[in-house]
This record gives sequence, C-alpha cells and structure tokens, in this order.
Amino acid sequence: MDFNDSPEEAAFRQEVKTWLAENAQAYREPLPLGPGDIRIAEMGREWQKIKARGGYAAISWPTEAGGRGATPIEEVIFAEEENRYHVPVGPFVGIGVGLAVPTIRAHGTPEQIEQFAHPTLMGDILWCQLFSEPAAGSDLAAVRTRAQRDGDDWVVNGQKVWTSWAHTADWGILLARTDPEQVKHKGLTFFLLDMRTPGIDVRPIRSISGESEFNEVFLTDVRIPDRCRLGEVGAGWGVAMTTLMNERANSTGESLLLPDVSSLVRLARERGLAEKNQRELAALYAREQGLKYFQARQLTALSRGEQLGPMSVISKLVFANVLQDGSAMGLDMLGLEAAFLATEDHRVTRFQYGYQWAAALRIAGGADEILKNQIAERELGLPGEIRADKGVPFSQLPVGR
Amino acid sequence: MNFDFSDDQKMLADHARQFLGETCTFDRLREFVASGEDYDRALWQQMVELGWPGLSVPEAAGGLGLGVLELCLLSEEIGRVLAPVPFFSTVCQAVPLLEQAGGEVADSLLARIAAGTCTVAVANPDQGHSLELGGNSCLDGALAPVAWLHCADVLLVTASETDGTAVLLSVELDQPGVQRERLAAQVLDSVSAWGAAHFDKALTTVLARGELVVALNHKLRLRSAVLLAFEQLGGADSACTMARDYSLERYTFGRQIGGYQAIKHKLADVRVAIELARSNAYYGAWALYTDSPELPRAAALARISGTETFTLAAEENLQVHGGIGYTWEANCHFYYQRARLLAVAVGGPDQWAAELLESIR
Amino acid sequence: MNPQELNDWLATARNWLQEQAPDYSGKARQGLTMDEDLALGRRWQALKSDAGYACITLPRQYDGGGGTEMQKILFEAEEKTWDLPNTYFGISLGMPVPMLLRYGSEAVKDELLPKAIRGEHIWCQLFSEPAAGSDLAALTLKATRDGDGWRLNGQKLWTSWAQYSDWGIIVTRSDPTVPKHAGLTYFYLDMKSEGVEVRTIRKLAGESEINEVFFNNVYVPDSQRMGEVGGGFKVAIETLMVERYAVSDEACGGISAERFIDIAARARIGSRPALEDGEVRRLLADTLVERQGLRSIHRRAMEAIAAGHEPGPEGAIRKLLIAKRRLLLGAAAMDLMGPDALLYDSSAAQSNDPVNAWIEAPPIRIAGGTDEILRNTIAEKVLRLPQDHRPDKGVPFNQL
Repeated sequence: MDFNDSPEEAAFRQEVKTWLAENAQAYREPLPLGPGDIRIAEMGREWQKIKARGGYAAISWPTEAGGRGATPIEEVIFAEEENRYHVPVGPFVGIGVGLAVPTIRAHGTPEQIEQFAHPTLMGDILWCQLFSEPAAGSDLAAVRTRAQRDGDDWVVNGQKVWTSWAHTADWGILLARTDPEQVKHKGLTFFLLDMRTPGIDVRPIRSISGESEFNEVFLTDVRIPDRCRLGEVGAGWGVAMTTLMNERANSTGESLLLPDVSSLVRLARERGLAEKNQRELAALYAREQGLKYFQARQLTALSRGEQLGPMSVISKLVFANVLQDGSAMGLDMLGLEAAFLATEDHRVTRFQYGYQWAAALRIAGGADEILKNQIAERELGLPGEIRADKGVPFSQLPVGR
Repeated sequence: MNFDFSDDQKMLADHARQFLGETCTFDRLREFVASGEDYDRALWQQMVELGWPGLSVPEAAGGLGLGVLELCLLSEEIGRVLAPVPFFSTVCQAVPLLEQAGGEVADSLLARIAAGTCTVAVANPDQGHSLELGGNSCLDGALAPVAWLHCADVLLVTASETDGTAVLLSVELDQPGVQRERLAAQVLDSVSAWGAAHFDKALTTVLARGELVVALNHKLRLRSAVLLAFEQLGGADSACTMARDYSLERYTFGRQIGGYQAIKHKLADVRVAIELARSNAYYGAWALYTDSPELPRAAALARISGTETFTLAAEENLQVHGGIGYTWEANCHFYYQRARLLAVAVGGPDQWAAELLESIR
Repeated sequence: MNPQELNDWLATARNWLQEQAPDYSGKARQGLTMDEDLALGRRWQALKSDAGYACITLPRQYDGGGGTEMQKILFEAEEKTWDLPNTYFGISLGMPVPMLLRYGSEAVKDELLPKAIRGEHIWCQLFSEPAAGSDLAALTLKATRDGDGWRLNGQKLWTSWAQYSDWGIIVTRSDPTVPKHAGLTYFYLDMKSEGVEVRTIRKLAGESEINEVFFNNVYVPDSQRMGEVGGGFKVAIETLMVERYAVSDEACGGISAERFIDIAARARIGSRPALEDGEVRRLLADTLVERQGLRSIHRRAMEAIAAGHEPGPEGAIRKLLIAKRRLLLGAAAMDLMGPDALLYDSSAAQSNDPVNAWIEAPPIRIAGGTDEILRNTIAEKVLRLPQDHRPDKGVPFNQL
C-alpha cells in the first residue's frame, strides 16, 4: 500500500513533466483574468494547439484518431501535471474533446468525423452542449425543443438552458424532439448545430453570484441541414447516452478559487471559534479528507485497469455538500464582513464564491437526489423510481411549469 | 497509485469473512449472551487454529510475522460479525506493546499468545492512576472497568512508581493476589464482557519504565484508533447491508419500502458515509504501516469517520426495520449498542476532534 | 369556564397534586417491580377518579372528570412534572375508552367505563401486525362469521400492555375480496377469551411492555362490533384521531436540557468542565432554542383548542423533533461520561439516566408514526405536496 506511481506511470509522468517544462513556461503565473472572464476560452484555443503539437491534445482518443490511446490513469496524471501550471483548460475545450467528438466518432458518418474531429483537436472548433431545458433537467428525455423536417433541412424552435460556454462556442450538440406522438425517449433526434446560424440567441444567465458561464439559448426557426443530423431520426436518446457516458463527474469548478476546510479551520482559530465548532469542523474535515483518499482509491482502481463502480458519483456529491456546508460556516464566522461582495479580502471572496457555486454544483451534472437514487439503485440494488411517463406519448404527458 | 490492499491481503480478508460469516452468526451471538460465558471460547479456539492471535507476532516467537495491514482487514471482518472474543486487546493492543517493550518476559508472553494459550486484557493508560506499586513490584489497588479483565490470563497496565515514574506492568491474573469479577451491572453492549480486579500485593513484572512507557502508550492509542476504525467500518457495512436486505423484503402501501426515496436516500447517505470512512481508515492503515509522521492526523481522521459512520448506520438500520428493529430477536441492537461502545472505547469524539483540528496548520 | 375560573381550577388541582402525588411518585416508586408499580398506578388512578381528575373530559357518571379539553391538557402538563405511574393507562384511557364511550351500549358503558377509568381494568389496542405497521390497512387478521358472532384468527404485534389487559379493541379483515381499506371490521373483545395468547417481546433493554398477541379461533359476539361491517378503517382512524392533542413531555421521556446541564457540569473535557466547552454549549443552545420553538407551537395549539378549533399538524412536528433530540442528548451525555457509560442500570429512570434515555430512544422514532411517515404528513398536510405513489389503491386485498 502506497501512494506511488507504478514504474510505467512514473515514466509517463516524467515524460509529461519534461514536456510541460518546455512548453508551458508561459503559464507559470496566474492568468490575468477574473472569475467568469470569457477571454479564457480564446486562450484555451492557443493552449490546445500547443498540446496538439506535443501529442497531448486528446490523450484519451485512440491513436488512429490523433490521440494517444492513453489509459484513464494516464489522463489523470496528465491533468495533475498540467494543473501545476496556470493553463487555460476547462469545459470550453473539454466539451468538444471529451463529449462531442467521442459521440460523433461513435454515431457519425465518415464525412462528419472528418469535418469535426481534427479541428476540435486543434482547438479550432469549440463546442457547447444544448441538452438541458427549463422543463428537462434531471429528466433529460423531457426536452420540448422541436425540430421539424422542411425539405433538406430541419427547422428548430425552442429554448435550452444552463448551456455552459455557448457564448464562446463555434458548434453545439443539440437534442431535439422530432416526433411528440412517440413515447418520450423515442421521439428525439440528435443534431450538430453551427452556432453562427441565424435565429440563435445566446443570453448569459445572471446567476446568484452575479456572474456566469451559463447561458440560455433561444432557437427561433433555426435551420439545420439534414447532413448535420447525428444518428437516425428518432434515435437521439441513444446518441445522447453516449455523450452522457463520457461526461465524467469532474466538473467541480475552479478549485483554486474555492475554500477548503483547512482554511476554514484556520479562520475559526483566528476568530476564537474553533473550539465552539470543534465536532462540526472535524466532521467536515473528515468528509473532505475522506473524499481525497477515496479518489486515491479510485485512481488505484484505474491504475489496475479496473472499471469504476457506481460509487464514483460521490466525488461531486460529497464535494458540493462539503463546499456548501464549509462555506456557510466560513461566512458565519466572518460575520458582517461576509455581507459585502465588493470586498478586497481574498479569503472573504473565496467563501462567498464557494457558497454560491456550491448551490449550482449540487444541481448541475446530476442533482444530489438523482445521484442518491443512483447509489441506492446501482450500488445497493434498491428498486427504481416509479415512472408515471412509461409508455405514454410525449404529447399526452402532464406539463406543469 | 497503489492505495489499496494487495491481492494476498484481500484473500486473507475473504477467507476470514467466509469463516466468520459461517461461524459467528446472530444466533450464536444470542446463544453466547444467554450462556453467560466469559467469551466465546470455541470461536477463539478456531481463531487460534487459524493462527490469528499470532498473526503479527514475529515468526521467531512462533507467530505468522504478518503486518498491521493484515490486522486492519481482520479487524474489519471481526467488526462485521461483532465476534465476542478478546481479539482487540490481545492481538491489536498487547502484541505490539509487548513487541515494542521487548525483553524476556515480553517475548515469552508473545510466544504464549501465538500458541493460543494466553489472552490479554489491556487497561487504558489513564486507568492505572489509583494503583500503587510497592517494593518488589507488588501491586495494590482496584481497576475497572476493563474489557475481558475477569477472564483474561494476563493484564497489561500502566501504573506509577512512588516517585511518579510511569511503568508498564504485566500481571498474571491467575494468582492469589488478584481478586476478579465480571461486572454485574448490565453492560451496554451485550456481546462484550467487562471485568473489575482488586490487587493485594499482586506480583507483577515491569516491562518498561519512564519515557518509553509514555511513547508506547502514545503509539498504542493511535494504533488502537486505526484498528477500531476498521472494526467500526465492518460494523457499519454490515448494518447497511442488513438494512438494504430488509428494505427489499418489507412491503408497505403495496411497495417494497426500499423503493421509497425516504429510504433510498437514507441508505444512500449511509453508503456514502461508509465509502468516506473506508477511505479514511485506509489512510490510517497506510500511516500506521509506514510509521508516517502523519499518523496522529490519520488516526484521528479514521476514528472520527468511523465513529460517525457506524453510529449513523446502526441507528438507521434500526429505523429502517421499524418496530421489529427494537426487539431482541431482530438483531439490530447488536450494532446499535456496539456503535456506542466503540464511540467511547479509546477516547471519545470530542477528544479526537480536538486532536484532529490541532493537526491542521 | 372563563380564564379566571380556569386559573382557580388549576390552582386547586396543583395543590391537590402537591398533597397527593409524593406518595405515588419518585421515591415511592424506586425499586418496585413492574407488577408493584402497576398496583401503585391503579391506586393513583382511583384516587384521581374520586377527585375528578381521571379522564377529565369524560362524563362524571362514568367516574370521569366531566371537564373540558383545556382542563385535561393543563392537568396533564402539571402531572408530568411528577414522576407518576401513569404509563400503564396511557393507551387504555387515551383511545379504547373514548371509543367505547362513542360506540358502546348504555349497559356496557355503565359496566366497563368506570372500571377502566378507575384503573381496575386496562384496555389495549390491537392494531399493528407483522406486515401492517405504518400501512395499517394491510392487516390480515381474519374475522369470519359464526352464528351471532365472529371467529378471529391471526396475529397482532406491538400491543403495549397486552399482558395486563382485560379488554382490547381490535381491527380485523372481514372481507379480503374488496380493496384493502374497505374490508376491515372493528370490535372490542375480552382479552381473557379462549384462544387469546399473549407473548411478551424482549426488547433491547429493560422490562418490556410490548407483546405479540395470537388469536386462535377466538369468538367475539356481533354485539361487540363497533361501526359497520367493512367500516373498520374509518373507526380505526377515528381512534387515532380521538386524542386531539397529546400532551407529551418536552424531553420525550429522556433527559431534559437541565439534566444534561447537570451532567455536563460534572464531566470534564481535557482539563476543563465540559459545561465550559464551546461545543457542549452549542448543543445546549440548539436544544433550548428548539424547545422554546416547540413551546410557542404548543401555545398556539392551546389557543386554537380554547377557541374551539381543531389543532393543526403540530403534533407531527413536535414528535419528529423531540424524538430525535432525545437520541442526540442521550448520546452526547454518554460521550461526556466516557467508559462509565458502558455500565448501566436498566432500572434507572430514563428521564434521569442518559444511557437509558438513549437506548430507549429508537422505538420513539418508530412507534405512533415513524419519522418517515411524519415527514410525509408534514409534506402532504402542511406543504400540500402530492401523496407517495400507491400501487395498492383500489386493488382487492387478496390480489396484492
């Protein structure tokens, strides 16, 4: 039992370190950007090109697709080493490399793969994911955005929401309803959408923290040529499943900007409040550290070539809840200072940001309740939820708000 | 990254789980309680045949010479079935104490433990304050409560010499100078037994003296915390499985109760807590195994997670069972009571919380 | 009764308790076996009945108090400040007796009500079964017609005080071919009838009041039916609603905040008294805040009752919180006691001894509405959220 790399892993890590030392010098210092500054996406294209030259742009892709065919543990090692620098990485690049192209490779025509895979690898195409809607969140198959056939095109009308980086994306992967008379999972079709098409209106969502990478995307008579359909008509749910399977629960936010429990303990000590909250602080710290060692166990499993089980969802579940609880405690301890957003005190902004971001994190990429259902069903073998929508045509389902 | 037990170690744990699962059933626990026996001697004898008492005793002394990692896994399995044997005090506490103290007497005790002819009770270091050590290392005074004290062969206890120097003593309990009894008051955890002893010029052997004793006790405490965390983990995991199984059997309002989110989410919460506790316990095992300077922090983490998780799992297991859970027949009480026993066994949650926070700089 | 009269009445009652209660509570009960304690309880019940303090809302002609709901609540709250042997009669007088008052014939009421109110008889409530707890309508104990009466076969579970009971009220399944709520019939019966077998259930600790009751072809005359054939579910719900507002102890029978303070003042954490520890003070503050909140809710409910309204779902909130709080305080006090907590005396009072308070806490989170059911009640009745999915609705019982 140890925390060391295997010889192969150590060799890979060394190779990565050497490469980064030669190529990431420009990123030694923090980027001159505040949280939520969208210019990071443009910087991301540059870094992606540099990585592509070194063969690290899409290390999990198979070699024939221009990747390295890296194992999951090598991906983690690369990310660990890369994160020692202040490189502009994030979903603005990750959605394309991690979600869109693997989906296209699984379901697309040779022409589609040709058109999108290499440019995405090179950072020339950035992607966004047009899945969630106001009435289709945890229940994604409830999407209402309509795509109707018109000659060689589809005409799309509807609204998407929570679309990260839609404002910087060149293309989007879109899930839309083509047949409302089918049961809900069967009437969906998957499209690739050029974000410069007329009729697309991207509006940033002002979140509770006042800034956001999220958007609403309104689609009004947007025309998509049929050659941009991915997979068969009505087969969109299966295609979307491929995307979701690739969605790893590692979107835990910009961790450098978030408070950890150690900083909370230091704050408590400084304010003479550590003793009063001793049990609570210790329990919170034990959860945070437990998660850290859980992740070490997960990496061990990857390193041994094993599949991760259903418990891997706890990374986000625990992280978000520890972040919310810890940030709330921190703000309580700061007292009235915490009430002012425009503060110069770095520590105050961290707890504020943590508290706000945690609220989103407990919902995005699988709400707490959905993740607990998954643990109950897949890990403990408890029965699935009762589904009132089974076998009912989509058009006849109750709509609500 | 290799933060896990090896395949050999896991195989040992699998064997232990199978053996204990077949032998140490709830029926047997209930029989044990009804019998009023001191500890489950037949089970202990089987463990002796498997070599468990001497698991970490050096091969030279007749043991298997395995390490603390194997002990961690066995502790988890013993925690799973709540085996009523003096395993923790004899194997997890006494063996390393004796090994570190060294000397002829310690070596012969280790050989007896490995041979399965000796069980040991270990008093908490702060329990020996009222004992008086006179000339010729004769011991006077009273000691209670100590687990298995009434039935163990040997006691290890820390006392003070007249000048205040701490000494670690071994006391052969079967001698005229020792009067023992099983504590008559009901013990919260019905499958463990606690004893009291009265010493009147009892003969003892000094195993260690002075600073060494302080160091030994410090290490003992941290090691106990980690190994108990594994016991807690085993108990929590098995309580969670029991609740899961029951929630699939029990129907209410026409559905399995395990289908209601009130129950699903409750059990998911327990399962998440177990996963975190397991991760912290593994970290404790690693720190113990490598004798890391991180050990105090790792022990406190393991202990806090273990206590919180076993308590949660035991309480919610009973709750999921509904009324039946509160009956003697339903077995939920074994976990419910053991969880509380382990919570206070080597220092309570407040103490460990304070130490954990202390380690954060 | 106007407020002034009510105050005067309460002052008299308080004086009466000052005079009489010491002989029946606290020290007077120490070291008694359950049988002896019950005998003391019967005497206390008779004494109260003579003074008009037993079953205050029931008519005087049956040896009740002939008073109002308000008087009953005030008296019971006062009585709870003593440690009286009332537990044996809680269910008997709380549910079966008021139901008999509604459904019994004059002759039966004349004969049985005074005996119950004076504590000579104990009544039990035979509702729950192994597969029918939260879901009462899932019960299976069979009632089949036999001449002028019925034959009962099956098993009841969790029947408190059945081992001492003279009479019982029971819900049975008289028709398994109709949906489950529609096939139930309700009776009262003599617990000494042939074929009734009571087996006491061993609990985690202490002497047990809970029983299994087996029915082997037990005869019940049709005259002892309460309500319509097939109308048993309605009567059962009426039974559960009869006590409009149960006065429960703030500490839920466990250790009070004051007792916890007492323990914390004597325990030490490190080198200081535990009571000076920030964490301990915080728990205590939380407990006191919650208690004050519950007192305010209690006051609102009292005002509603005084104004002739039905109290709301406050009872569910109260039980949910105090049962959990009892578990928390008990465990926290045990943590403070350290290894001493491992040895305990199961005959010590739960209100005084943290170990007993803790070990007896779990059934309170289950009995009379589990935490989960209470949360559903609050979600559905207070927040107006939809009911859980019920696949059993409208399906004949024998097809479930």
